Amino acid sequence: MTSETINDNLNNNIYLQALNSAKSGIIITDNRQPDNPIIYCNKAFENISGYPQNKIIGHNCRFLQAQDRSQPERQIIKDAVLNGKECKVEIRNYKKNGNLFWNELTISPVKDSENNITHFIGVQNDITDRKKFENELREEKASVQKKIEQRTKELIDKEAFLSSIIQTVRESLLVLDADYRVLSANSHFLSSFKEASEDTVGKILFELGNHQWDIEALKTLLTKILPTNNPVIDFEVTHDFPHIGKKIMLLNAYRIEFEGQYKDRILIAIEDITDKKEIDRRKDDFLSIASHELKTPLTTIKGFVQLLKRMAPAESSEKFLVTLDKVSIYVDRLNNLISELLDTSKIQSGNIEIHKEPFEIDKLLRDTIENLSLATPQYSISININTNATILGDELQISQVINNLVSNAVKYSPGQNKIDISCHKVGSFIKVSITDYGMGIIQQDQSKIFDRFYRARDIQKKFPGMGIGLYICHEIIANHDGTLWVESEIGKGSTFNFTLPIMNKQ
Amino acid sequence: MKSKKIMICDDDPGILEVLEMMLEIEGYTVFTESNSTNLIKKITTILPDLLLMDLWMPVLSGDQLLHTIRSTKELEDLPVIILSASVDGNDIATNAGANAFIAKPFDMDDITLKIEKVLL
Repeated sequence: MTSETINDNLNNNIYLQALNSAKSGIIITDNRQPDNPIIYCNKAFENISGYPQNKIIGHNCRFLQAQDRSQPERQIIKDAVLNGKECKVEIRNYKKNGNLFWNELTISPVKDSENNITHFIGVQNDITDRKKFENELREEKASVQKKIEQRTKELIDKEAFLSSIIQTVRESLLVLDADYRVLSANSHFLSSFKEASEDTVGKILFELGNHQWDIEALKTLLTKILPTNNPVIDFEVTHDFPHIGKKIMLLNAYRIEFEGQYKDRILIAIEDITDKKEIDRRKDDFLSIASHELKTPLTTIKGFVQLLKRMAPAESSEKFLVTLDKVSIYVDRLNNLISELLDTSKIQSGNIEIHKEPFEIDKLLRDTIENLSLATPQYSISININTNATILGDELQISQVINNLVSNAVKYSPGQNKIDISCHKVGSFIKVSITDYGMGIIQQDQSKIFDRFYRARDIQKKFPGMGIGLYICHEIIANHDGTLWVESEIGKGSTFNFTLPIMNKQ
Repeated sequence: MKSKKIMICDDDPGILEVLEMMLEIEGYTVFTESNSTNLIKKITTILPDLLLMDLWMPVLSGDQLLHTIRSTKELEDLPVIILSASVDGNDIATNAGANAFIAKPFDMDDITLKIEKVLL
């Protein structure tokens, strides 16, 4: 063995060790032999493929592809081998245990001095993890993309849904920018106010319809009230439009204050209450006429009963006279019912007039109670009154309240004989309390008894009524800036209290 | 003493009848008229001591008639009491220059008292 041969062997050993230390699988095939068999493989190739060296040497590289033979990369390899070119492909290979791995394969030809291809060197990297990661990334991307598309579709759907709500509501809606320019108007607005969409959107609200929206009250609302009182609810505007006539409108206005792209936009909802007001007016007229017409025959009946009483023979029986009295009582009751119905209607539509004049509350209470005592001699009414206060209000209406409350106290305390009435100063108010020792009112009913037409349960059969007396009392006291409330315990009785502001004498 | 003449004008025959009976019991000489358009002619001839008149009547209302009466020379001082079942009747009657107002349904004692007061 020459020293050169020793040196060669030593060098070969070092090269082999270097190849075996590589992370990449490396094979060498012999191109001069049929079917280009593998003549060398390093350790890493054994690891990647899972085959031991003795099962590798002699095979063509394609054994790694198992049955997966239809990959387009094969043609690339074939062409490279045929033409003696270098190539790099990513190809699906299979380990000995059948598991798939992605092989990044680089093939380089080795040529001799005559330029014949003697060998091919194949370098393999298992890129399964990278492929997996890439795949995951691609899937993730696709799923994000899908989510975005879905969200966008949802947003479009939502917007279309909201917009269809806005277009369907039977109320006019406008969106303005901070300069009162119309950004959008719904179909109800356009149809109610006979405006075309193209003449509305983009225009200043006050200039719409040839300036027919140049309404002083609307300007006040938007430029003066809204900036300091956001939102504004139930703002009434009456306006005579040149084209569509007089309209009474109820407006809600809201300026968007939260940060973002909609900040300072103004939303306006307009309810046309022209017809409602007209119906209210007609209802009031109808009730006025009805009550007037009902009272006319009642007047005649009452008159004839009085005449009968006057003409009754001296020897008439007690029973006969009592019967006549009863007719009178029921005629009066019918008359009161008709009056109350009209009062309720007027209170409801805010048409009841208050004639405010100063009066002495102590005297009014004493006079009213004196009259009531005559009508209910079986009750002893105790009075504790000492205010000397003057009230500015409608004496007749306050008297109606006292009458009503005391009559109720009698009506709802059958079998009792006592009612207490007191009136005291409380701060700048007087407080009147009317206490009975009757059946009382259950908790659930205490807040409802002041509602119109409300009748406490179980009461209707024993005590007929329309459920408007307390409603009227409540409204009258409220119109006088006072409060009416009840304190009651079932089986022990009720106290109705009301307050009225004392007139400032200066 | 000659009894006082009272003219009653109301479009409702029932009310005319009951008022007529009431006032006759009180000893007045009563004339009635249910058609408002005939009233002025009738009172110009009869020249009653007092007119008792409804407010809401077809064709001519009580306040319109009262206006004519107050601007007619021989009738301007005629005492007039207005009757009405209407809630704002009192205000309308007072504004039109009525001497008194009586709400329907009325009380016989109240009517006779008011008539006596106006005739004083």
